[in-house]
Amino acid sequence: MGDVSDRIGRPTDNGQIGIIDPECRLIGLHLYDGLFKVIPFDNKGQLKEAFNIRLEELQVLDIKFLYGCSKPTIVVLYQDNKDARHVKTYEVSLKDKDFVEGPWSQNNLDNGAALLIPVPPPLCGVLIIGEETIVYCSANAFKAIPIKPSITRAYGRVDSDGSRYLLGDYNGLLQLLVITHEKEKVTGLKIELLGETSIASTISYLDNAVVYIGSSYGDSQLIKLNMHPDAKGSYVEVLERYVNLGPIVDFCVVDLERQGQGQVVTCSGAYKDGSLRVVRNGIGINEQASVELQGIKGMWSLRSSTEDAFDTFLVVSFISETRILAMNMEDELEETEIEGFCSEVQTLFCHDAVYNQLVQVTSSSVRLVSSITRELRNEWNAPAGYSINVATANATQVLLATGGGHLVYLEIGDGVLTEVKHSQLEYEVSCLDINPIGENPSYSQLAVVGMWTDISVRLFSLPDLNLITKEPLGGEIIPRSVLLCAFEGISYLLCALGDGHLLNFLLNTTTGELTDRKKISLGTQPITLRTFSSKNTTYVFAASDRPTVIYSSNKKLLYSNVNLKEVSHMCPFNTAAFPDSLAIAKEGELTIGTIDDIQKLHIRSILLGEQPRRICHQEQSRTFAICSVKYNQSGGDESEMHVIRLLDDQTFDFISTYPLDTFEYGCSILSCSFSDDSSVYYCVGTAYGRILVFMVEDGKLQLIAEKETKGAVYSLNAFNGKLLAAINQKIQLYKWMLRDDGSRELQSECGHHGHILALYVQTRGDFIVVGDLMKSISLLIYKHEEGAIEERARDYNANWMSAVEILDDDVYLGAENSFNIFTVRKNSEGATDEERGRLDVVGEYHLGEFINRFRHGSLVMRLPDSDVGQIPTVIFGSVNGVIGVIASLPHEQYVFLEKLQTSLRKVIKGVGGLSHEHWRSFNNEKKTVEAKNFLDGDLIESFLDLNRSKMDEIAKQMGVSVEELCKRVEDLTRLH
Amino acid sequence: MGSVLGDWPSYDPHNFSQLRPSDPSTPSKMTPTTYQPTHNRTLPPPDQVITTETKNILLRHIYQRAEEKLRPKRAAPEHLLPEHGCKQLRASVQDTPC
Repeated sequence: MGDVSDRIGRPTDNGQIGIIDPECRLIGLHLYDGLFKVIPFDNKGQLKEAFNIRLEELQVLDIKFLYGCSKPTIVVLYQDNKDARHVKTYEVSLKDKDFVEGPWSQNNLDNGAALLIPVPPPLCGVLIIGEETIVYCSANAFKAIPIKPSITRAYGRVDSDGSRYLLGDYNGLLQLLVITHEKEKVTGLKIELLGETSIASTISYLDNAVVYIGSSYGDSQLIKLNMHPDAKGSYVEVLERYVNLGPIVDFCVVDLERQGQGQVVTCSGAYKDGSLRVVRNGIGINEQASVELQGIKGMWSLRSSTEDAFDTFLVVSFISETRILAMNMEDELEETEIEGFCSEVQTLFCHDAVYNQLVQVTSSSVRLVSSITRELRNEWNAPAGYSINVATANATQVLLATGGGHLVYLEIGDGVLTEVKHSQLEYEVSCLDINPIGENPSYSQLAVVGMWTDISVRLFSLPDLNLITKEPLGGEIIPRSVLLCAFEGISYLLCALGDGHLLNFLLNTTTGELTDRKKISLGTQPITLRTFSSKNTTYVFAASDRPTVIYSSNKKLLYSNVNLKEVSHMCPFNTAAFPDSLAIAKEGELTIGTIDDIQKLHIRSILLGEQPRRICHQEQSRTFAICSVKYNQSGGDESEMHVIRLLDDQTFDFISTYPLDTFEYGCSILSCSFSDDSSVYYCVGTAYGRILVFMVEDGKLQLIAEKETKGAVYSLNAFNGKLLAAINQKIQLYKWMLRDDGSRELQSECGHHGHILALYVQTRGDFIVVGDLMKSISLLIYKHEEGAIEERARDYNANWMSAVEILDDDVYLGAENSFNIFTVRKNSEGATDEERGRLDVVGEYHLGEFINRFRHGSLVMRLPDSDVGQIPTVIFGSVNGVIGVIASLPHEQYVFLEKLQTSLRKVIKGVGGLSHEHWRSFNNEKKTVEAKNFLDGDLIESFLDLNRSKMDEIAKQMGVSVEELCKRVEDLTRLH
Repeated sequence: MGSVLGDWPSYDPHNFSQLRPSDPSTPSKMTPTTYQPTHNRTLPPPDQVITTETKNILLRHIYQRAEEKLRPKRAAPEHLLPEHGCKQLRASVQDTPC
């Protein structure tokens, strides 16, 4: 490793080039105009000191090494000062540290030539890809073919001899370029259209006609090249699609389902791959049926025979009765009866049992009932004076506890219930479980019991009820639900407490040993744990005020919240009519629904076929409005069309379109209302100078008012019942005036000059924060009495801004074009005018992402009474398609996590020796300074992926227990 | 046409033979794990740190010229002749450069 940057030099406009000589004699780098850097290898493969060579060509478009040359030889594609393009070859003389004129050159190529493809032996030479021609060039051959005008973005070699290449263009068309040759002499070129893919950034031929198309403008794809065309004439078959949100140019945070949880809707992709993406955290329930039912105390599903693949009955228990629902012939849920069940009391537990039987446990007895005749076959009664408090069962076993700490174990036979073992514990039992996780799916050799008073969980062996393990939980909150479960071959004990916390342990099923205790907070109310299956995988549903699905990925437990407000009970209900469904009791309602695919983030793609640039949501009309560009190609003529589109916020269908003028670019969009007017409007600012005010009427965009501006309207904000616009170098405030004829118009009130380009504006009260093209952040204030906008303070650094946001009254967040983020603070208590007029830089950090937009909001449900709910967050979207969260942490937590980050840096090492500290240092053309007041959440959360010994090592350094560390880091993960 | 499109290279016929096209509306759900190196095995060798020659290109050029000038001139003709002859000989053997 090392540093190849130079202190002086003009960074190349066309991007950095890094290439390796095919015979591994040197690495070539083109980083600065007019310089070619060489890092030589010695014959042992060690890198030697790098040196620069003067390169005469200043406007370099591409450089590649040629194959089959005795000395390392580069071919340079460049543009001269008359805008003509040529190629030239140079030999690199390592001895003289200089170029020697190469074997050939070729002048006056295609004006759009921008890509070189070096051809391997035996043919050698180079392909020059232009916009209208493709040329093969070598010392002794020159072949050219015309092509349909297009811009080639990527290529991939197919054959190792270099006779075929895949070319991907800016419209996503995939072509095959063939070099025809005879006796190692090139005789010509051929090109064939194969079909359409995402707009390719990289093309890699893998094997057996399967090709990977990497795209930074749309989703990446795995495609297969078929021998014969399909009905549309395409040879391309898409096998797989990999989601890419980039480039995110704008997004908004909305709560479409009105559940208090944000969703991000992004403007993603470019050109024909443009799309809207709805990004949502957690798991959705697709409601199939629902009925009003108050006071549900428990639910269980039962089958009508042991062999039945589907459930038939749904037992719903209330405080003083039990009702049984069943699917009838019309696939409707109707009330029925199981004669052998006791329905006048509350049911504590139900389960299917072997020999076509059903088990019902009530406070007085255990009833064994035939599922065929529905009649009682056997009953076990609680001893006189004792009532059953808690019970559980599986297909062959029943475990129950009565008052006084009596634990009773029964086994189920054909028409018989046998009391096998009884044991008295010193305290009352609060919960228990015998879910079989061993080899036998209907018999468990372990029982887990949660205790009152000493607040512990205990493991007993079955059938003898011998105590194996006693685990004190600590604290004063009793365990309310325990569950034995296995994920990905690993056994766990889950224990939910009455205050919404969940403990999990690794369980050794042979020794009963509990290890790796972890505690996380799911909600604030008692949790009930249940397993369910979906698509042949087991999950755990934690019903509480914040319902969560617990699952495992890469042998790590993950928690995904379910997009429901509060769930008191859940049970799987897998019927023929509603397979893989769940019955959910919530807020006085019983719902049958299916569950989304279990994963943390859900991304819904709405492919537009055009490029959305700006988006905004209007709650009142339940619509989105976007500024969009459609690229048309009809018969060689290319044109772009700019439109404002109105979309339904549920279906995302286009419901209305307003075309802008030719070359009129939509730059900003806002939903707002004005003082003295109750209506809500969409305002659009355009880049040849108009502000358009629309109203949604009958699902249509109606133009209400229009105002010409002297420049592009980069930003629009609602401001004190008025409209604040950023127009080129000016901030301008407009009033919404009622004319005599009753119509409305925008009237200029006041403005503020003094920017290069005011690109990004955020407001809070009377304060206006402006992100300038190159003059960082400034703070303006609107003075009501004078009706004027004045500058209050500014950051005097020369940051080229890409986004700004207001974190609180005093601190503002900015992103700039060298992939850094920073915060500045208003200094109201400064002693002098000069001090008060300066925004102090308080935080600096290298994010490594180009941020296009910040928005306040959160992707997770925020509980107002939890610690995490108090932490304000800002979401960002980047060119690479990254969505991230910036959370403003309380000081104590910041200090703690900073210490953890420092410890983690020593344990988790950068691949190749790259230092995390160095990477996160704020770095731009002017300065490099260590990161301050920002922490890397990804690094901190990777603590949870470490093995136990590394965790111990860090916990020791920190002087905190591993459990405490895990809890604090897991709390942090619940911010996103 | 057929000949150009057919005969795609195959390195191992088993590769992708089991792969079935997935529903194009549902993207791949593969979530690769993040690699957390807690060892030193990827550290570069301590003696291998890339640095750039600090000498300015112009100065390097001047020094090189100066060195060339400093070489004893008289010895040159004695060596040049046979060397020159040798070069011509080789050139006649070689028929295609590069």
